[in-house]
Amino acid sequence: MKLFSLITASALAAASLLPLDAFAHHSFSAEFDTNKPVQLTGTVTEMKWSNPHGWIYLDVKDASGIVTNWALETGAANSLIRRGWRKADLPAGTVLNVDGWQARNGSTTANIRSVTFEDGTRLFAGTSNQATPEVETGR
Amino acid sequence: MALRCLLLSVAVVFSSLTAAQDLPRTATGQPDLGGIWRVQNRAAVDLLAHAAAFERPAGMSVVAGGELPYQPWARAQQQQNFATRAQTDPFAHCYLPGVPRIMTLEFPFQIFQTAENVAMTFEWQQVFRLIHTNDTASLYEGIESWMGHSRGAWEGDELVVTVKDFNERSWLDGSGNFHSAAMVLTERFRMLDADTIAYTVTVDDPEVYTQPWTMSMNLYRQQELDRVLEYQCQAEKEEANGAFEPDVRNWYPAGIPGENVAFDATATSGLPLPQASAEIARLPDGTPDIGGYYMADAGGANYGLEKSAGGALMPPARGVVVDPADGVLPYQGWARAERNDRILPHRGYDDPTAHCFVAGIPRSHYVPSPFQIVQTPDHVVQLFERMSWRQIDLQRKEHLPEHMRLWQGDALGHWEGDTLVVDSRNYNGKAWLNEAGDVISHMATVRETYTPVSRDRLIYRATVTDPIAYTRPWTIEVPLDRLQDELLEVACLEDNNDLQHLRDVRDEFRAAQPTTAE
Repeated sequence: MKLFSLITASALAAASLLPLDAFAHHSFSAEFDTNKPVQLTGTVTEMKWSNPHGWIYLDVKDASGIVTNWALETGAANSLIRRGWRKADLPAGTVLNVDGWQARNGSTTANIRSVTFEDGTRLFAGTSNQATPEVETGR
Repeated sequence: MALRCLLLSVAVVFSSLTAAQDLPRTATGQPDLGGIWRVQNRAAVDLLAHAAAFERPAGMSVVAGGELPYQPWARAQQQQNFATRAQTDPFAHCYLPGVPRIMTLEFPFQIFQTAENVAMTFEWQQVFRLIHTNDTASLYEGIESWMGHSRGAWEGDELVVTVKDFNERSWLDGSGNFHSAAMVLTERFRMLDADTIAYTVTVDDPEVYTQPWTMSMNLYRQQELDRVLEYQCQAEKEEANGAFEPDVRNWYPAGIPGENVAFDATATSGLPLPQASAEIARLPDGTPDIGGYYMADAGGANYGLEKSAGGALMPPARGVVVDPADGVLPYQGWARAERNDRILPHRGYDDPTAHCFVAGIPRSHYVPSPFQIVQTPDHVVQLFERMSWRQIDLQRKEHLPEHMRLWQGDALGHWEGDTLVVDSRNYNGKAWLNEAGDVISHMATVRETYTPVSRDRLIYRATVTDPIAYTRPWTIEVPLDRLQDELLEVACLEDNNDLQHLRDVRDEFRAAQPTTAE
């Protein structure tokens, strides 16, 4: 199962590697762990439109009802802004599904591979230019 | 008495006429603000009159009327800011100082003026400002930033600049005087003579103040300086407190390792320069006009200069090494081993750009983020969106003294036909070439060429001659595309959540290592 996840994750990541302008000021592979894939559903509490990475903060409730706030790293705010996205596009309270990799240090931090709204449309994808999934994930 | 007044008036008029005639002017007739400038006051400590305290030299008010018209709540906020300034002053954290504070620092700055814009490169943390004077509206109206968005226009001999779209995080001085995101500034730059600029700023911020107010000061030409140097506030701080550790093999003044094989300085594949296009835009003096906003077609150079397939969290690299012809960097053995080590997770912390430090040369071109070229007859200046700059001096012939070491190096340029050729040295050796950890040392000299191969494309090459880390010179090639866009701001340090995570990974690795027996 783990092997399957890894292979799937790698293949998806490779497929989504496009323009690199949103990528990091630091090594993602150093900070995040491909052996720790995470799938989260939760409610946005805040998005920081910062550079060189934006951060989505997501309240995620587990089976026992305990809520944990996750920090999810996105591409640079500047890349999102250049594609027409603005702060008002992601208000607090929005429900998101997130797929990504957890930080190596075990904190509730993840690099996101894809983010979708409840209806399945991709956040930060499908701008007026073209679909750019790499922007949402930061690569 | 009347006669004396008349004579005095005549003298003043005559003197200002003389001054106006004596002003340096650009080809298009505006006063040329180009040069190195600095205030001579204590406004950075406090905009208002203040007596001395420890590390706070006394100064007189630069504010008209000597008081700030705070809203009552805001006055209380300023007093709280003042009381907690050691912790809460953004400047103490090396954050972007905002405008007008950056203009009042004791650190000098240089102005480069073209018909399209006025660029300012500040010594402090290599901050820059780019004031668009080409009668265009901002593409990014309403996007908040530390330094604001500047648009300027000449009103006769006065440059009038509107600055807005601020965030509410910067302060106006070191005494907690502050503003809101609603602040709009009107700056006026008027040359009094060739060596003095009268600088006034009107602050309009109805959320914090009861009425607009104005500060005035002079900027003085720094005649003893021929360039602005670097003060990398955060890098210096982290080196001093041990958060950023030296690499004794690469940093100045490391020598050539005894294990190295001999360096073959003459080895080259003899690659000819790209052919310049006949279609390019030119400045009135005939040199290629390469000014504008650029983005590298970098092909993943920030994840490896050599070709690499990448991985789940590391993008692929197409390979940008064009000499040697096989695309393989001619590493010394120890340096190849170091490169292979740097890509391990516990070394991610050591990449200077993870700390938001300057990317160095050639990495600043392909980090990847856009940059702006501002071109004057004397300089080609690069403003990198990740808030650093580099000046390429087209006049100076001598490099800095051997011991003067900079992140971005010391760049001297000249035109060879339509190719800009830049020779850089005096590196400090602290930069990495990319996230994969490709190595460059302080001993590197870099020859770069920028060849316009079409109206909006430069072919950029960098030949690195580094006898510490390599066995022979090598060259990369990256196209640079001029696009219709404008720089935004990257306040990297201000929201860098990643560094602690990377440090945790490093510390965990170190804790797991067996301790060396004494």
